Amino acid sequence: MLPIVFALLLLGGAVLAAQSSINGKLGAQTGVVESAWLTFAMGAVITFLLMFFFESPKEATLFTVPKWQLIGALFGVVYMLAIVFAVPRVGTAAATVAVISGQLLMSLLIDHFGWLGNNRLPLDPSRYLSMALLIGALTLIYLSHRRRAFRLAAAE
Amino acid sequence: MQQAIILLMVLVAGMGLSVEAGLLGPLGEQVGHLSATLSIFLVGALLLSLVLVFTRRRLLGQLFTQPRWMLTGGILGPIYVIILTIATPLVGVGMTMVGILCGQVAASLLIDHFGLLGSEKRAVDGYRGLALVIIFAALWLM
Repeated sequence: MLPIVFALLLLGGAVLAAQSSINGKLGAQTGVVESAWLTFAMGAVITFLLMFFFESPKEATLFTVPKWQLIGALFGVVYMLAIVFAVPRVGTAAATVAVISGQLLMSLLIDHFGWLGNNRLPLDPSRYLSMALLIGALTLIYLSHRRRAFRLAAAE
Repeated sequence: MQQAIILLMVLVAGMGLSVEAGLLGPLGEQVGHLSATLSIFLVGALLLSLVLVFTRRRLLGQLFTQPRWMLTGGILGPIYVIILTIATPLVGVGMTMVGILCGQVAASLLIDHFGLLGSEKRAVDGYRGLALVIIFAALWLM
């Protein structure tokens, strides 16, 4: 069971990277908002069909839960706009590493303080080291981009 | 300098993504995972529709003159969110993050290196290769 889940997760990550690449390209051709709109509109249609036919009924519905639980979409929209704007300018790799750093930083905070009704998982030394390594990796990719930009400028 | 500002902006957007996941997990437990996913895409689509109608009507038509494969980003989004909601209860949030991030980093370097999906070619040089190794070490520590 576990290997299947792990393979699925790798696929999910690869799908995410492919999506930011495709949307970055589309955004450069049409516009940031247009590309993000298409992603959300198609996503809404697909998940509506899935929910309509495959969701087992629950006592709570989207209309009865506290409203603050529904604002997740706002963060998704901001992320989508940011990624579509950034990918053509800094490249998929640099954008992805920046997203990962932000994601891990925030998930460490959520875990550490138990925000949003999640379980508390206090920070330990290995998590600190892990964060430091990620910042190092982000710097390396940034340097690689800078070096390439200098080469291109020199060639012209 | 401009690059650094863009990267910082993307970093903040990534933080928002974790907040979204943090909200989505408990919501999915209450109303069902597909409904929770729908709420994300539906609210996003409606908000952006308003933005488009009022600001950039003219550009919308251009979407449908692009090659078809470029329009598939919307199919990939739900695949990711559904995999996320299937995996989280089975292996926990930490493991879910590690798996997703490994796939994400490896795929994004491949896409850049070979210029796949219409991306500009950016060869994996020493810096980027080392960065990938460091990321895997960081993920292993998590």
